[in-house]
Amino acid sequence: MNNTKLNKLILSIGLLMVSVLVACSSDEESGGSSSGDANTVEVWHSMTDTSGEAIEQVIEEFEQQNPDIKIEATYVANQGEGQNEKLLTAIAGGNPPDVAYFDRFEVAAWAAQGSLEPLTELAEQDGITEDNYYGFAWEEASFEDDLYAIPTTTDSRLLFYNKDHFEEVGLDPENPPTTLDELEAAAEKLTIKEGNRFERIGFIPWYGQGWFYGWGWSFGGDFYDPESGEVTADHPQNVEALEWMTEFGQEYGVEDIAGFTDSQGSGAMDPFVSGQLSMKIDGNFGVASLEKFAPDLNYGVTPIPTPTGDNFTTWSGGWSVVIPKGANNQDGAWEFLKFFGSEEGQRIFSETSRDFSVIESVNESLGYTEDPVFAEFINILPESNARPVMTEGSLYWNALADAVEASTRGNGTPQENLEKVTQQVTEALGE
Amino acid sequence: MQPKVKHNLLRTFAHLGLLIASAFFLVPFLWMVSTSLKPVTQIFTYPPEFIPNPFQWSNYIEATEYIPFFTYLSNTTIITVFSTIGVVLSCPLVAYSFAKLEWKGRNTMFIITIAVMMIPMQVTMIPLFLLFNKIGWVGTPLPLIVPAFFGVPFSIFLMRQFFMGLPNTLRDAAKIDGASEFRIYWQIMLPLAKPAVLAVGLFQFMNVWTDFIGPLLYLTNESQYTLSLGLQQFQSQKGTEWGLMMAVSTMMTVPIIVLFFFMQRTFIQGITFSGIK
Amino acid sequence: MKNKMNQANHFSATAGIQSEMKRKSKIAGSSLNGWLFALPWVIGLILFYAFPLFSSIYFSFTTYSILSPGEFIGLANYKQLMNDGLFWQSIYNTIYFAVFFVPLSIIIGVALAMMLNMKVKGMAVYRTIFFLPTLVPHVALAVLWMWLLNPGFGLVNGVLDAIGITGPNWLGSVTWSKPSLILMSLWAIGQPVIIYLAGLGDIPQELYEAADVDGASWLQKTFKVTLPLLTPVIFFNLVMGAIGAFQQFTLPYTMTQGQGTPDNSLTFYVMYLYDNAFKYFKMGYASAMAWILFIVIMLLTAVIFLSSRRWVHYQGR
Repeated sequence: MNNTKLNKLILSIGLLMVSVLVACSSDEESGGSSSGDANTVEVWHSMTDTSGEAIEQVIEEFEQQNPDIKIEATYVANQGEGQNEKLLTAIAGGNPPDVAYFDRFEVAAWAAQGSLEPLTELAEQDGITEDNYYGFAWEEASFEDDLYAIPTTTDSRLLFYNKDHFEEVGLDPENPPTTLDELEAAAEKLTIKEGNRFERIGFIPWYGQGWFYGWGWSFGGDFYDPESGEVTADHPQNVEALEWMTEFGQEYGVEDIAGFTDSQGSGAMDPFVSGQLSMKIDGNFGVASLEKFAPDLNYGVTPIPTPTGDNFTTWSGGWSVVIPKGANNQDGAWEFLKFFGSEEGQRIFSETSRDFSVIESVNESLGYTEDPVFAEFINILPESNARPVMTEGSLYWNALADAVEASTRGNGTPQENLEKVTQQVTEALGE
Repeated sequence: MQPKVKHNLLRTFAHLGLLIASAFFLVPFLWMVSTSLKPVTQIFTYPPEFIPNPFQWSNYIEATEYIPFFTYLSNTTIITVFSTIGVVLSCPLVAYSFAKLEWKGRNTMFIITIAVMMIPMQVTMIPLFLLFNKIGWVGTPLPLIVPAFFGVPFSIFLMRQFFMGLPNTLRDAAKIDGASEFRIYWQIMLPLAKPAVLAVGLFQFMNVWTDFIGPLLYLTNESQYTLSLGLQQFQSQKGTEWGLMMAVSTMMTVPIIVLFFFMQRTFIQGITFSGIK
Repeated sequence: MKNKMNQANHFSATAGIQSEMKRKSKIAGSSLNGWLFALPWVIGLILFYAFPLFSSIYFSFTTYSILSPGEFIGLANYKQLMNDGLFWQSIYNTIYFAVFFVPLSIIIGVALAMMLNMKVKGMAVYRTIFFLPTLVPHVALAVLWMWLLNPGFGLVNGVLDAIGITGPNWLGSVTWSKPSLILMSLWAIGQPVIIYLAGLGDIPQELYEAADVDGASWLQKTFKVTLPLLTPVIFFNLVMGAIGAFQQFTLPYTMTQGQGTPDNSLTFYVMYLYDNAFKYFKMGYASAMAWILFIVIMLLTAVIFLSSRRWVHYQGR
């Protein structure tokens, strides 16, 4: 290597470094001061695509109505659904955004850690009450008598079925199963097995959004009593539900099914889209994905069958907006929360994103109840449940998923596994 | 004559083996490229189709419009290039000291260097963040660049192994000629370790180029984002934009492939000492 | 010319002790140089590593949750881990993976590198091809593998079928999920292979010339020249491979969406650590896990280091 050449190289690199450092530090100055002078509200969200457009429209309208407040929205990857590294570190570092778009499921755990600003008083002042929203959404936004979030979207889960497959095997595509017996019979008819390999499977209880919460409630079970704080994963009806799932799995061979659906929970390679699965449980967000990946698929949706064929139910999650602890501009943040959660803000957001609003009248006014598919999802919302509002929500969720996996694979009985969940979550809550 | 025949036979077999093996290794890349050219409805067909029909070149244009591709590209390039320079400057130097110089505490320092890699970053990233937060670097690319100039344990260890493999005779000879230690390092040892330096540089380039968690934590303004953060934007609850995402992924691999293609030449011939001796 | 071969062996084995003794006397003089050369890293270590590491030791004795500092609870986290079923399951999974993956990656890596070091036309292209899978994002790799391993229409079972074997339900089966993952991980072997290639590039050409003159066969050259002189980088890949295998995270996490399915057979140590730290707000507990992992890897590395005196040959000694 040539010595002088290298020396020159090093010199130029050094100069470049210095210039970058200077550039960065001046960047910082302008970035750091922005939240101080004007009435700026920093918003972090994880929305892209149509939801991304929708939030932009909400912001635009808000800024028009509040010319003195400026919203600075930033897309943050991995926010929500248990992956909140950035928001966590920002709060820990004392430098959080003023508003964060937040998975409602996690409100209780974060509130218990003292990481969200309580909104109870502000809501009372401005006349925002439980009556404005679906009951389960309000429930999830609160923790121990305090409100911590303004709910923004919701969803529900139903049985999707492939109408063409129904016709092909002589089932009435306009009369989908309502009882478990009918569901099992239909599944058997729809399944095509060649040798020891499935060409098509009628139904897989735990595929897609077939999480155990839904089955437990459909069987009439329950999971948690917020009054006494008692965890009831091993509720007799829950045990029944898991026993039913286990039997179903045994009939078809759990490993054969699992290999068929791969180990990905949902989404990436949907066998319903490719026509290898005739019925599945999925949320209303699954509709958008079907429109995109299989626009010609002829399908219908119907409430998740129950043992008796009535008392249909489902469960709902959804998103909200929160003010993280230590946010600079809490007044401005509250104004934005209020607008986002109002009928007007909800209508703007829901119309573009096609996510359901947490306000019933908005869903009606946007015509969701006239769309044959969406109507089914909307109509079941008043009957819907929220997952237990507790600090160990994520643990409970994972433990139930483990219990389903273990039971269906013959690794302990449903009774034993659900008892274990009860014990594990109770212990964690006690800590 | 016989050994020659045998040699040729061996070579033919090796060639054949390479061909078969490379087919196996080509699959993931080809699949990525093919997905990047598929219309969205073709991505989930059963059974899977390998060849896009029709070739949807517009995915590439759409992808660069879906995210501010060129902004992200230049951000990624700046961070990657500087941190690679940092590693290439610092790591061989430190490694040389571990391999060829004798100093008190050397072995302890070396053990510590290896040991710091054994703690998963998942538990150190929060305190590290708080540290950078305290000195006001959060929101700038500095936490992603500056540490590289102080050395990265993986690269130091790798370089050390290479220096350990270089004979001492050259160094001793230079010493007798009265050359300073730095001169020996800079003019004799470093050039000899060129393949290793290039490898270390390449790895750093790749790691930073595709790093996700670092930019996620430290960059707070969308105008500073990198391509790996951009990739995430193709995923939403309503489904992933596979075609567009793979188009960006494919474009992201191009610079690394080009880099690799040129640097791999340095491996082709074993170095010879005869010229320097 | 035979002398040259001997000379190489001489370097690697016997000369080590002599030069070691000779150098001892020079220590005082070059100690300063040594520290000066290592200075950037010493500073870096103190600035960027010391505080996070010590913090995490402290956290492991607390109920730190990232969002709140928690209380000091002594060894309670460690004690609780001993009774945590999933903790032990994740240890089993991780050791299983490491035990098979690390040796396989070394054998296949060295073999590939030697093939890629031949003087064959188009080698640049071959080398690039073997390097390509490391460039494909994990999300994409995960989906692709699920397609290839799908028992219904996957390519792998299709090929097995053609030769009369009924393939297993790879990723759906508790028995086969880990072997599948090992197979997938071997695909991304490009990085070690490059290191081996660089190592091969560092072997003095004269040694081969000398061996040729002596009429050594290809096998003899491989085992007497190539492999011994490659041991420094094999050693590197062994240590790094072990560290990496014990920290296996991204691929199984992406593939199973963090669930470790089927039946927790793909729940690896750091996946469980991550869930504790970021999902259950038990960073203290996670830190305790990290330091247990540290002790395990440290012991293993110590064994590798101690054994290395017998099998790693440095030309420089």
